Amino acid sequence: MFNLPTTNIGGQELFVLEFGDIVAYFSPYTTALFVFALIFTALAIVSRPEKQMDIAFGGDAYYAKVVDPELMRFQRFMAIACGLATLGAMVTGDVFNFTLFASLVGITNIGIVAAYRNRHVLNAAFQYGIVAMLATVPLFGGAAIVVASTGTLSMWELFTGAVAVPLIAKAFLVLGVMGEGMAPFYVAKAEITRAQGAPFILMVHVSSLLLFLRVAEIVISM
Amino acid sequence: MKTNRSIITRMSATISKVENLTGLYALLVVVVIVLGLVTLPSITYYDDQLYEKTLNPASTLHPYDRGGVPFGTTPVKSQYPENSPYAGYVTTYLTPFSQWLADTTHHMGTTIVAHPGGIIDEILYNTRGFDTVVETSILFVAFGIASYLFRRET
Repeated sequence: MFNLPTTNIGGQELFVLEFGDIVAYFSPYTTALFVFALIFTALAIVSRPEKQMDIAFGGDAYYAKVVDPELMRFQRFMAIACGLATLGAMVTGDVFNFTLFASLVGITNIGIVAAYRNRHVLNAAFQYGIVAMLATVPLFGGAAIVVASTGTLSMWELFTGAVAVPLIAKAFLVLGVMGEGMAPFYVAKAEITRAQGAPFILMVHVSSLLLFLRVAEIVISM
Repeated sequence: MKTNRSIITRMSATISKVENLTGLYALLVVVVIVLGLVTLPSITYYDDQLYEKTLNPASTLHPYDRGGVPFGTTPVKSQYPENSPYAGYVTTYLTPFSQWLADTTHHMGTTIVAHPGGIIDEILYNTRGFDTVVETSILFVAFGIASYLFRRET
């Protein structure tokens, strides 16, 4: 039914999924990202939390850290939700729909890091929460400028040469995704990667990386 | 050691504090917004909007008046009309459950789920229905986080 206007970035379309005006598409590029997100969502579903040991330096003593099942369950739920949001953001063919998925990724990332009890981790989560909330302004502002200046939101129309998207709308979109995808900074700074419930934290990195790759495709194609 | 630190050392020392990242991002947002204000006169409003909204202050339904004739046919614009073959039909508001109710019983017209919406519902539920689903998921996830944080011990 459709033909992707620009095939030099995402490649030829393979499969199209229609939700009314929102037409998700699978090109080789988006399919690769989708499969990557799918693998990590499956890993989040089947993986077990790490059992960690603290070794007292200079002696034989070690402590085994307790895995809190309730915290683990909540983080697994958030990691799976984050994976599903990433799956949606990878293949959606609509700018506003993409911004919605990006903010869903941001909220689930907050959920993953906010479940800890450590003070410095919670402090980092709070700072990230402020940035993610702040980022919704340029994110949805970018989509609003796109619809006001072109009259449509569908990427199928925006990717054609006839429609000119203002540079500032692209800048807003990139800035918004930057804010939502900033979580790995905080994860690295607060050293949450080696904290309790370790495997689920990986979803923060995966989702942010994939969001950046996808927004690059959108902005270049527009 | 503190006297002759290079500019890169000082920058990385600033960024390495989690508290400074928020300010850095806010600064970036301010710069881009100022750029946006400068380039704003060059952006023109596209008149042929797909999801148009006209305000009629004289109407008694003022902010919610979306146009259209009650119980008449209302044209609904959509990007891909072939994907929304039922746009403008009252029965497109039926959920799968109420569709089943209508198919199997005669009580559908008496229930509250049978109410028809306005033109805004047409856009939200028919042509852009997927957006409605994602928006509700955002609310659900936010509520899930808040309730977990509120209900846990300590």
